[in-house]
Amino acid sequence: MKSDLDGVVTKLIILSSKRIMPGELLSKIYSLKKDLIVKETCFGAEVSGKKDDVEDALREARSLDPYGVFVKERGFLPGDPRRCRATRAGARPGFHQIELEVERLPLIAKALSEYERGALLRREEGEELNLSAGRFKEIIEDTLKDMSV
Amino acid sequence: MVKVLVYPANSLILADLVERFGHEPLSVQQEIREKISAPGLDSPPLNITPDDPKIGLRYAAVEVPSGVRGRMALIGPLIEEAEAAVVVHDPDPTFGCMGCARTNELVNFLIRARKIPLLELKYPSTEDDARDFVVRVAEFLKSLENGK
Amino acid sequence: MSEIVRIAQLSCGSEYSGIQQEIDEAARSVGAEMVFPDVDAGDIQRIEDEFGLRVASPDLKLMMARGKAVVDGISDIDAVFIGTCFRCAEAALVRSELRRYIYETTGLPVISYSFTERTTATTLLTRMEALTTMALRKNLLVRERQRGLTAGIDSGSTTTKCVVMRDNEIIGTGWVPTTKVLQSAEKAFEEALEAAGVREGELEAIGTTGYGRFLAGERFKADLVQEEVTVNSKGAVFLADTQKGDATVIDIGGMDNKAISVHNGIPGMFTLGGICAGASGRFLELTARRLGVEITELGALSVKGDARKIAMNSYCIVFGIQSLVNSLSAGAKPEDVAAAACHSVSEQVFEQQLQEVEVKEPVLMVGGSSLIEGLPKAMEELLHVEVHVPPNSQFIGAVGAALLSSGFIEEE
Repeated sequence: MKSDLDGVVTKLIILSSKRIMPGELLSKIYSLKKDLIVKETCFGAEVSGKKDDVEDALREARSLDPYGVFVKERGFLPGDPRRCRATRAGARPGFHQIELEVERLPLIAKALSEYERGALLRREEGEELNLSAGRFKEIIEDTLKDMSV
Repeated sequence: MVKVLVYPANSLILADLVERFGHEPLSVQQEIREKISAPGLDSPPLNITPDDPKIGLRYAAVEVPSGVRGRMALIGPLIEEAEAAVVVHDPDPTFGCMGCARTNELVNFLIRARKIPLLELKYPSTEDDARDFVVRVAEFLKSLENGK
Repeated sequence: MSEIVRIAQLSCGSEYSGIQQEIDEAARSVGAEMVFPDVDAGDIQRIEDEFGLRVASPDLKLMMARGKAVVDGISDIDAVFIGTCFRCAEAALVRSELRRYIYETTGLPVISYSFTERTTATTLLTRMEALTTMALRKNLLVRERQRGLTAGIDSGSTTTKCVVMRDNEIIGTGWVPTTKVLQSAEKAFEEALEAAGVREGELEAIGTTGYGRFLAGERFKADLVQEEVTVNSKGAVFLADTQKGDATVIDIGGMDNKAISVHNGIPGMFTLGGICAGASGRFLELTARRLGVEITELGALSVKGDARKIAMNSYCIVFGIQSLVNSLSAGAKPEDVAAAACHSVSEQVFEQQLQEVEVKEPVLMVGGSSLIEGLPKAMEELLHVEVHVPPNSQFIGAVGAALLSSGFIEEE
């Protein structure tokens, strides 16, 4: 089935980053001067347009913080009244899902960065991953601090 | 590039990882996009019409609730299209197309029945778990490349 | 209705059943809109502990969280629609508990419904109309006394009833089988006017109800054209003189059945429908015909019989009649067959509909079918409570319409 929207994709960019704010992300995408609909959201931005243009925008977005920018497909165009909170009072179901997944993103971001540095090895079944010396030191210090209170 | 189905099929984390490691995540949102932009259909919000639960009869019998069959009409074709799958077993609550426990049970079964390369794991809640999660997913996705 | 009624939609599966559009359309056609109460992820994560019901499906958790948002008054809501997929046991539990919780804590009008992909806006229309009436027209519904000279016409699928009332008394009635909606309504109307000894021009207000209410309303220039859920519940508590406190109204109609929870004369929770004609007055008509008795004689016959002597285990009107025929050919007594038919209809209403409302005493059975004595008797046995049939119960809708329409006299 073909329509006007054929070839148009919409992606959600979700930030879990200390390095960039949604505003910077938007400026970066705007600076590409592509024919895109860009909208700031609670979690980052929505980008909609031709597939190649959207992919360029995503590449730029990821370059800002390779491990702090996450991307998900969206079926609806930004602001589509069929799914928009403004016309339905409550959030669409997918919003709650992002709310929950966002809580785990810092863990994933950290692990990704360590993986890319080659610092991670696969854990065998039942085996605990060794703590790094630095992390072990932090835990000791935190525990001692708690005990002294 | 391999078409990888993720479960939950609308997971941000899984879809991102699949794409990040060079494969194509099969997502329900793509199916939804097809539906909502299909000309001649006007059944907002998702343009799922009463015909979809009937299409879903391919996956579940008529005594199965219409919501299960309607969801299967969306997800079923993705399962059939998938060349590999990453399944998370105890995901956070997933809403909408993945919001029905009965549908999710059937989806899990059908993914296994496909006998495609499959990675099953749990959602991480600690740093160590997250590291292991990322390593496993990354290695699995890389092995798909090599296998091709 | 100028004000838009905001109906909170608490549902699971409506979009994926392909019927969200039908729900929206039914709401729109009665001047209402469906809204989803706003919640956040934390509300959803806490809801199982707060509400005390653990479920596997996340959309049901979302539904419960939205229900709590209604109760907490976070959203500005006039009425509540609770809907889940037919045949989903998990959802049925949530639907039922949520319905009770919201009704008891907020007093908002609530309807619960289980849908399939075949549910249409037409099916939902009367329900939505009743829901918006309960939300918007409370002033009209609190009326306890009929004033002036008014008439009510109940254009039902099987019979058309009319009453003329003056100063809280019924002074004339008409009752004819429904053939053509308008012809039957005119005939019943003339009968009632004649019995009352008044002329049409003298009437100060007219109300119509029943499935032919729109056509009849137009013909008689009715002041009130209203669905049968609110009208019948008013008629029931008026005739039974139970306008204060709780009551449950059961009306087994020719095509569909109503079960309504009423509080202080105002309906608050109801179901409308029935899976098959096997649970309707139509089945009793067929039974009477098969037994060679008039429908008016079936009641007296049925109370003499024992339903337990007949093997009947079907929801379907065709198989139900087949069971009766088989029993008769095997030598069963007509009174036992009549009792079994009454028991079967009552049991289906009990199993399919009374679970969706709060059954609180007094239980009132109304409508023409309530005069078939075996029916209230069977219902008493199933509910283990006394079932009352108020006087003139066959005119319930017409009386309700005459009563409510008298509210328009003062407005003029």
